[in-house]
Order: sequence, then C-alpha cells, then structure tokens
Amino acid sequence: MATAALLENPLRQGLFSDRVPEPCSLVIYGASGDLTHRKLVPALFDLYEKHLLPTSFNLVGISRSKMTDEEFKKHLKESLKQSEPQLSDSLWESFSQNFHYVSGAYDDFKAFQTLSKLLDELDAENGTAANRIFYLSTPPNVFEAIISNLGAAGLNREEKGYARIVIEKPFGHDLGSAKELNRRVKEVFKENQIYRIDHYLGKETVQNLLVMRFANSIFEPIWDRRHVDHVQITACEDLGVGSRAGYYESSGVLRDMFQNHLFQVMCLIAMEPPVTYEANAIRDEKLKILKSIRPFEDRTLSQFAVRGQYGPGYLAGARVPGYRQEEGVNPKSITPTYAAIKVFLDTWRWHGVPFLLRSGKRLPKRATEVAIQFKEPPNLLFKSNVTDLSPNVLVVRIQPDEGITLKFETKVPGMTMEAKTVNMDFRYGTTFAEGTSEAYERLLLDCMLGDATLFIRGDETEAAWEALMPVLNRWETTEPEGDFPNYEAGSWGPAAADQMLEKPWRKWRRL
Amino acid sequence: MTVSAQSIEKDLAELWKAGVEDKAQQLGLQRVYTTNLVAYASDHEEGYRVEQILNDLAEKHPGRYILVRPAADRSEPPLRSYLSGHCLFGAGREKRVCCDLIKLVAQPEIIENLYGFTFSLLMPDLPVEFWWPGDLPYENAFFEKMAQESNRVWVDSSKFKKPVQSLTRLAAFWHSRYPHTFLGDLNWIRIQRWRSLIAELFDGDWSKVLKDIRQVTIEYGEGTQPTRSFFLACWLASQLGWHYLGPRLSEFTDRLTFEATQGNVEIFLKPVPVPDVKRDRIFAVGIATGGGQEGIFTVVRDQDPHCVIARSEVAHKVAFSRTVSFDHLHSNELLALGLKHLEEDPLWKKALAMAGSVLVKPKLTLD
Ligand SMILES: NC(=O)c1ccc[n+]([C@@H]2O[C@H](COP(=O)([O-])OP(=O)(O)OC[C@H]3O[C@@H](n4cnc5c(N)ncnc54)[C@H](OP(=O)(O)O)[C@@H]3O)[C@@H](O)[C@H]2O)c1
Repeated sequence: MATAALLENPLRQGLFSDRVPEPCSLVIYGASGDLTHRKLVPALFDLYEKHLLPTSFNLVGISRSKMTDEEFKKHLKESLKQSEPQLSDSLWESFSQNFHYVSGAYDDFKAFQTLSKLLDELDAENGTAANRIFYLSTPPNVFEAIISNLGAAGLNREEKGYARIVIEKPFGHDLGSAKELNRRVKEVFKENQIYRIDHYLGKETVQNLLVMRFANSIFEPIWDRRHVDHVQITACEDLGVGSRAGYYESSGVLRDMFQNHLFQVMCLIAMEPPVTYEANAIRDEKLKILKSIRPFEDRTLSQFAVRGQYGPGYLAGARVPGYRQEEGVNPKSITPTYAAIKVFLDTWRWHGVPFLLRSGKRLPKRATEVAIQFKEPPNLLFKSNVTDLSPNVLVVRIQPDEGITLKFETKVPGMTMEAKTVNMDFRYGTTFAEGTSEAYERLLLDCMLGDATLFIRGDETEAAWEALMPVLNRWETTEPEGDFPNYEAGSWGPAAADQMLEKPWRKWRRL
Repeated sequence: MTVSAQSIEKDLAELWKAGVEDKAQQLGLQRVYTTNLVAYASDHEEGYRVEQILNDLAEKHPGRYILVRPAADRSEPPLRSYLSGHCLFGAGREKRVCCDLIKLVAQPEIIENLYGFTFSLLMPDLPVEFWWPGDLPYENAFFEKMAQESNRVWVDSSKFKKPVQSLTRLAAFWHSRYPHTFLGDLNWIRIQRWRSLIAELFDGDWSKVLKDIRQVTIEYGEGTQPTRSFFLACWLASQLGWHYLGPRLSEFTDRLTFEATQGNVEIFLKPVPVPDVKRDRIFAVGIATGGGQEGIFTVVRDQDPHCVIARSEVAHKVAFSRTVSFDHLHSNELLALGLKHLEEDPLWKKALAMAGSVLVKPKLTLD
C-alpha cells in the first residue's frame, strides 16, 4: 500500500469536491451589513451544501453593532431563509456551529487583540491551523483603519498558516486614493495575500469569455482589427438608485461600473492569450490592455464620453421618479447615472477598433452583454438586398439568460436571393442541467484555495483609474453640456450617446 | 404507412412548426440538442418506466432521445413510432427550449434489428449515449451494435436482477471487448454523495488514521441485493489499497475481509428493516479505527428525511459533526448528472476491478 498517498486523503480523489480548501477561519468586517447577509453567507451555505467548505471552518463576524453570537446567528438565519426557504433547523445548526460575533469599532485596537485571542482559541478547538481570511465588507472609509490594526495586532503574519485579505469594491475613489490604499495595504500585506474583489469576475459567463476565446480555434483568427468593426459592452439596469443614494451620489456610474466591471470585461475580450492559466499570467495580459487605453483628451472628450442622468419616467407602466427626486439625492445633483464611452486600445491587434462601453440606471431592462460586431462582407453579391444585410454579430450574454448568440445571414426560401438575419443560440441554463453558481461562491472558494486569478491586482486597479481620471475630472468639475437630467427613466439613455458612434452602420444595440 | 427516418424527421418538423406558430403562446420555440440518448427496454413494464424517466430528463436536459421498446401485444403492427416534444423555459423566460423523444415500438422479431434505423435518427456531431436499463444481455444484436457505436453505455447495477452475474461480466470483459466505449453506472453516481461524505471525515490530519481502519459497517434496506453497499465497499477497498482475502463470491454475503498493511479489515453489509420503497438504499456507514487512536467515523441518515449527519468521535470525544441535505436522486437526475461529462470515471473502473476480484469469475462471456 502506498503509505505516501495516505498523507493526503485518497478518498477525496476523483470526487467533485476534491477542490476543497484547507481548514480556515473567515473574519468578516461589517458583518451586520447587507453584503454579509444577502451574498456572503448564502454563498458560504451553497459551498457547504456542495461539500466545498473545509471540514473545519470558523466564521467570525465583526462590526460595531452590539450582538451576541446567538443574535448574530439569528439574523443570519433569517436572511438565509429568504433564499433558502426550506432551510431546516438541523441543517442550520450544523452549518453555523462555528459562527461567532465580536462587537467592536474598526479603529479600536483592543477589538483586534480580542479577535486575535479568539482566533487562537478557535484554531486550538477546531483545528483551523491559523489559516485566516479577513474580508472587508464595510464602507471603504474604514478600510485603512482595519488594515493598519490587523498589522498592529500581527494578524497579517503567516508563520503558522496563511493570512489573506479580501477588499470589496470600490477600491479607491480616484487614482490618488487607490494608490494610497494600495500603499497602505501593501505596508501590511504582501501582494499575494491581497484579494481585490470584482464580483463580475466570479460570474460563470465572464469566465466563459476566456474559455470561448482560448479553448476554440475558430475565433482567434478573426479576433482583430481586420475583421471586427467594433465591440459593444453594455451593463444596464432598470432599477434606480434605491436606498444607495448616499453611496451613489459620491460615486456615480463611472466609479460604480466602468472602473471595475466594464473595464475588466473589456480586458478579457481584448487581451492576448496568456502563456498559462495562472493568476499573474492572466493579470499581466489584462494590465497591458488597461495600459493601452488611448488617453482621453479634454478638448475632444465629448466625442468620446457622454454622460446622462435619468429624469422621471415610466417603467413597466408605473411612474418612477427622476434621480434628483430620489430620497437622499441632492436636487441639483450632477452625478451621472448613465455613461457611454468610446475606448480605443493602442495595440497591434485592436488599433482603430472602437470599444463602446455603456452603463446606466433606469434603462428599460436589466442586462449585461458583450457584442462583437464584424465587418461587412467586402463585396456585396446580392445587390437587390443590400439594405437588408446586417453585419455578423457575436453576442455573449452575461446576465440574465446567460449564453452566446451568433447573428448571420441566411437565404429566405423562395425564387429570389433574399437574405434574412437569423440567430444561432447557445443558452447556458439549458445546455447544462445545473444552474450557474453565484459569483461570491466562486470567489470565496478561490480565496480559500489561494487562487487569485479572478481577483484584481494592485497595478490593474491603478491603471484602470488612470485611464478614467480625465473623464471623471472633467465631469466633476464642469456642468453637463445641455439639460440634466437628459434621459427619461425607461428609455435607452441620452440621444447624445448616438452621436459618438461616428459611422452610420454603428448603432447601440437594443437589448 | 411505413415508418422511415424521413417520415419521422418530417413529422418532427411539422410538430415544431405548429409549436412556433402557436401565436396564443406568444413564445418563441428553440430546438436544442446537446446529446443523443438511446434507451432500450426489454419488456413492456420496463419500457413504461424508462419512458417516464426520459420524459422527465428531456424537460431538464435537451437532447435527441430515442426509446426502443417492445409492443404490448401481437396485434400491433411490426413497428410504430410516437413522437413527443418537450420544452423547458430558459432563464430569460422569453424563449422555450425544446427537444424531442422518438419512441419506436416494435414486435419481438424485428426489435433487435432496429439498430440501423436508430442510427439514422441520431443527430450528427453529438455524442451518442446508450442506456441499457436492465441486466446485461447474453445475446442481443441491438446491444452489441449500440455498444460498439456509442460513446458510452449506461447501466444501473442497482437495477440488475442478477447483479453478481452482470457485475462479474462487466468487470471481466467490458474494457477488452469494447475498448472504445466508455461504461457508466447510475449506481455509481447514486453513491457519489456517500463517498464524498465519507471522504470528508478523513480530511487533513485525519487521513493519517485511514491506515488504522479495522471495521466498516454499511447498513442498507433489507429485502434486496446490496449493490450500492457492495460498490461502496469496493470503492473504499480500491482507494485504500486493500486486497480481498475471502473466497470468491457467487452471491453477496454480509461480510467481506480485506488485507491492509496494518492488519485485516472487515466490511459488514448489514440489512436493516425499512419500508418497501427504500429497499437497497444505504442508511448508515460506520468506520471503526484501531491503532493508537480509537475512533468511530459515521455517516447516518438523520431523522429529518432530507438530511444526513457525518460525524467522527475519537477517544470518546466528538471531533467533527456536520449535517447536510440529502435528497433522493431519481434516475432522470442521475442521468442528467452522468451526461454532464463525457468520460469514464477512473475510480469506477478501479471499483469495478475490485468487484471483479471479490466475485466469482464468470463462466460465460458477453457473447
Ligand atoms: N451590498 C452589496 O450588494 C454590495 C455589492 C458590491 C460591493 N459591495 C461593497 O461591500 C461593502 C459592504 O457593503 P454593504 O452593502 O454590506 O454595506 P453596509 O451594509 O452599508 O455596511 C456594512 C456594515 O459596515 C458598518 N458601517 C456602515 N457605515 C459605516 C461607517 N460610515 N463607518 C463605519 N462602519 C460603517 C455597519 O456595521 P456596524 O454599524 O455594525 O459597524 C454595516 O452593517 C461596501 O464596501 C460595498 O461597496 C456591496
């Protein structure tokens, strides 16, 4: 018998759950908040149900609210019941048996010492081997206090086990603050201990962009300026600002969607094939794309970037207020709730191909997709139908109804050579019997496994901010051109966005 | 009218056209095929059961489904075909994703020779999966041809009426006779969650006590053959490198003895009384270790019928306890899981080889 094999667990071999992380403790700062209740704990529960949570696992929630362990668990259970109405008591008891709560201010060093002591005790009790993940799920204004206190309490050290820190978005408010946050966090943690979250990267369909591009040979030869006319990346939602007015007023759509999600998706579409499927190989290629973004110039900015803000309108037949009428919003606010940006990448592959990025609130529906529009055939053979021919488009739907569609022309049955556009469709949800996992589930698991591929590296964050700063600076220091609000809730955004498309055959897609 | 591949395809096209034109529904239909799955039922009763399973499967996993089954009586024509469309909603609920089930009902003299006809109905460029729901046949032209032409053959060893014979033949001849056809067993997928729960108990430092296992007890519903428990035992033995010591078996016994590096291991297959519907299901697995650290590692069904508890107790102290959901998986769900990856599980091959070393050598080949 191979005794060496017994050092690991041979019974795990070949099981779906062989990607199980080592025992660990997860410490969540801001544990009384929305993200913990609505996303993190449900994601942990899904991992638990799939046998992907380590067998020894502690969760320690920390925030200022006063609560006992039992109260903390009670709140979490109530929230979990929203997504898991069938949750039984025995299942919950078992899942939450090692959940704890510590109440303390984020700048109170004593609370960190208490935490350190508790973690040592839990390690001894539950065999969690001093592996620790610190998840910052608070508003960003307290990130720095938490990070420096973790350092002061020695919780960043990796003498016995690992210490990792997960930082929620937004990572910085602008280039200067992102650099400062990077500097502060790197004073305490090494880059390979830092996991900057962009939950878009945890989405199955976003990861599928890599598989689609690099596991198929048919796309690569046409994936360049010779064949692609332009790329559209859209993330729209029908919701308004809701209860997040406070955050949104100081952030706006560029910080909320472009600096992170849309730029990341653009990187995955545009990057060169990485040498290996490893965190740094992929992040190196993404960084090159971010660095190749042609700088926006102040004098021509309006041809490259259009901002919008929704006014009152109708959605699903119901009257909805404009942004300035939402609770907590300055009635004279110039915060953009919509933006469309034309990006050029100065690379060999993409020179001259516009990447058209748009995102907005209170648009007619919620949808995120990437559309690669190919050039028209060089010679139009079927002259009688010239006007009907439409270009080939490859659409990757990120949400909802995840899948891929290819639009192409086909002959209409009959005696004439009439062509019609048809769709060839692949749908994730129907081809694979199993549903796609929630983004946070994948990201939490990867962090426990020490796989940073789907997290953002510090230099990527800075490069993304750097590219966006000219637009942010201009929009924050000047009044909008023309009237604001400039689009009605329930419409597809301001008319000015159409003007930046340049060519008559380029149109924003109606999703 | 004679049944032909063309007439079936034409009827299917009509069926879908009618669906697309059903304006009242206001929904687009889209035909999607991810695989071909052919099933063959040897008798009427099995045909009925398999048809239900395929109906359910088609509604969650779109494919070209073909069921070949015998006619109910001699008065029926030699061959009849029945077509049905199955749709599921996509996540966007804007379009329905649809696929079809072709049922070929034939008289005994022609049924085995329908393989050529079945080939003509397969969707090109998609994998061909062949599901044989009963015991392995000794002589069946349909089985033979399909096993050669398919990418994979599915059996369900827990549904074998003569499990020992079928398993020994599979273990002895499958891979030499059909070197290019994968073999899958729904029973193996069925016990996957037990394997995973047992494995969990031995993570980390606990893997060190695997060498000290002395006794394993697997409790199952009495009144039938313990194929699930037997496979679980074979998996444990093959993964832990144990060698079977006892005499070769021509029927399942309640005790298997293996040799491990640090001594012998006894595996008990223990029937427990349960209501009829739960027969053959595994109810509990208990693993006892000796050596320096005496421990009991168990996975047992909870009082809550939807849960099981995995627990370990070492030196009379609970070292680990976890309750997880555990709902019964129906055959269509097992098939859906199995169809996800087109490959043969090397662990199943190892467990089958272990079964082959425990069971008596077959006298007859697949011929
Ligand atoms: N919620 C989401 O869906 C979502 C999505 C993406 C990213 N994020 C990011 O994830 C983080 C957490 O989001 P969240 O929605 O959970 O936030 P939240 O509910 O507003 O805040 C989390 C917790 O932080 C504490 N907190 C709130 N305001 C504070 C302040 N000004 N100073 C110090 N502590 C404060 C509160 O706990 P105590 O008062 O008990 O200390 C609160 O329960 C944020 O960085 C957010 O941008 C959230």
